Amino acid sequence: MKLPLCSVTANRIAFRSGLLGSAGLALVFLTAPTLAPAARGQAVDRPPPDATPSEIVDYVDRLMRGESSTGEVLMEVLTENWGREMRMTVSSLGTEYALVRILEPKKDAGTATLKSGTEIWNYLPKVDRTIKIPASLMSASWMGSHFTNDDLVKESRLVEDYDITIEYDGSRDGVDVWEFVLIPRPEAPVVWGSIRYQVRKDDLMPVWARYHDEDGSLMRTLTFGDFRTFGDRLVPATMRMVPEDDPGEYTEVRYENLEFDVDLAPDDFSLRQLRARN
Amino acid sequence: MDEKPGWRIGWRNLGRNRRRTWITASGLALGYVAVVVMSGLAGGLVAEMVDNGTGILTGQLQVHSAEYLPDRNLYATVGGRDGVDVETLVRAVASVPEVAAATPRVFGAGLVSTGSATVAGVLMGVDVELEPAVSRILTTLRDGELPRAGHNEILIGSEMANQVAAGPGDTVVLVAPAGDGSLGNDLFVVSGVFETTLTDLDLAWAIAPIDALQTLLALPAGRIHEVAARVDDPWAASDAARAVNAALTEVLGDDLDAEARAWTEFRPEMVDYARLTESMQWVLLVIIFGMAIFGVANTLLMSSFERRKEFALLLALGARPSMIAGSVLAEAVSLAALSLLAGVALAVPILVWWHTAPPDVSWLYGGFTMSGGLMRPILRVEYPWSMLGLTGVSLFFTATVAAVLPAIRSARIPPADTLSGR
Repeated sequence: MKLPLCSVTANRIAFRSGLLGSAGLALVFLTAPTLAPAARGQAVDRPPPDATPSEIVDYVDRLMRGESSTGEVLMEVLTENWGREMRMTVSSLGTEYALVRILEPKKDAGTATLKSGTEIWNYLPKVDRTIKIPASLMSASWMGSHFTNDDLVKESRLVEDYDITIEYDGSRDGVDVWEFVLIPRPEAPVVWGSIRYQVRKDDLMPVWARYHDEDGSLMRTLTFGDFRTFGDRLVPATMRMVPEDDPGEYTEVRYENLEFDVDLAPDDFSLRQLRARN
Repeated sequence: MDEKPGWRIGWRNLGRNRRRTWITASGLALGYVAVVVMSGLAGGLVAEMVDNGTGILTGQLQVHSAEYLPDRNLYATVGGRDGVDVETLVRAVASVPEVAAATPRVFGAGLVSTGSATVAGVLMGVDVELEPAVSRILTTLRDGELPRAGHNEILIGSEMANQVAAGPGDTVVLVAPAGDGSLGNDLFVVSGVFETTLTDLDLAWAIAPIDALQTLLALPAGRIHEVAARVDDPWAASDAARAVNAALTEVLGDDLDAEARAWTEFRPEMVDYARLTESMQWVLLVIIFGMAIFGVANTLLMSSFERRKEFALLLALGARPSMIAGSVLAEAVSLAALSLLAGVALAVPILVWWHTAPPDVSWLYGGFTMSGGLMRPILRVEYPWSMLGLTGVSLFFTATVAAVLPAIRSARIPPADTLSGR
């Protein structure tokens, strides 16, 4: 955080501890390309053997997106100053609607976030108020975690923003993988200079994604694990983000249960539902 | 016999053509006035900038944890995780003779919301009793009252008040990441609205009692981010910072994670501007007297040309060329002395007037900000003590250099040819 009178502006305030609360949470679980589980009802056909790199990455990308789903998630954040776990329920409808409600810890229980279209609202049970989150804060850190909100709110597909090529095609630790390099297109509204993305060949599950800045320096690594089947979908149930500048810190997200193709309607994502305490 | 007739000849020659003498002297005197007054104004501008840049909020000296800046890490409180005895710390800072007052502060990044409208900003927790002795931020109260210690009350900037459509008596929600990793949130009553006319401050700052903000941020009472201090002579702040560091070591021990820094460190852009202003004074001095040198040289060339037969006669009677050259130089130095007297007589009253009662020129231009400081539309002057002397020396130097060529030419006049009219 820097102060305006010190020749900086309030826009540079470091919202490292996460002002947006669970605003991005719904998005990270339910709409973000690399983190969300798949939903039944999405017709995602496995790409043919001679598929291009873009087709393969697009398949993984679409497989990881949700259409409608509910679930329970445990998020663990460890920083040099504190560590905490949060249990929460998440539900989503397409990329337009998402609702997240924190169950634990007790101090934050009931805190909820609603994404409706382009608007984000938070419900704070302690003060019994809903507040609208300004769009300018969507670039802030998310919930004190190592995910940025830029990761979370983005709704576009990787193939729309990046040119994708195969950097490595072979075996790593006895597993056949592809390693893709994603270079942003000149007009793409993305913050990364490049992304490297490893995908297993046999089941097309992502193994890791490495995010580099414009100078090519590795900034953070997202590792996928605990591949489990929820419903009829195989998804990575665990994702761990480790920042390169603080390798002792991490944010880990674990799905405890997930249901796909649930009966949800836009009315289930209203301000009234946001304030509901169940 | 006069042992130095050159001086008497030079001085008396000034009276031969008084109109020309006064015109030339006026040029030099006005040059002196211009340089001195402009230097005073530039000094006033810098003083105004430093005064407002440090006086409205930051203070001239700040004490932080070594890890606090530049990111203003929420967790980097003075004294580390264990905090510190705040009262002892503030007393130690204030005990330094150069420090006029000191006050503790806590900062957080947060949202101020009325529900439908939300603004992101800097939340500053202050000791409402001590803060006015260090900064003027609480004196910029426009509406309402100051927040009271022990109450969830908040003072917000005028632009923030417009953005969230809140005023005194309204309730707002404050949301901020807390020190325990949770999302601190609570209701605060807007006690008042401040207005500094600095957009950054008025839009993005909110001020609460330090204890209320510590509760919101889940910080114990002993954990503060800053001790701000006022140093009456801003240019003594660096010395004061060294003295504060010594006092902190003496009172609180070597291990205390606290470091005092002067505004010259945390506001380096103002130091750069002050240096630029100082160098511009030299440029101004060179330009003005560089122009004057040609006018004076022209005058002395005319004067010495008119007196060429006198110089020839003196040389014919046995005067040495050096005496002739000396008389021309003496005339130039005498002219410089007259000019300096006139310049001082003009400049000093202006400096005293504009220093004690700076004219308000708001009819000409409004206030503006420079390097984060609010500049009032006044002709504030600081006494340019060094430039008063340096400009005087420059004036003599100008007159002397301008006289060199006329002096040499006068000393080389051929007596016989000149007296015979050839």
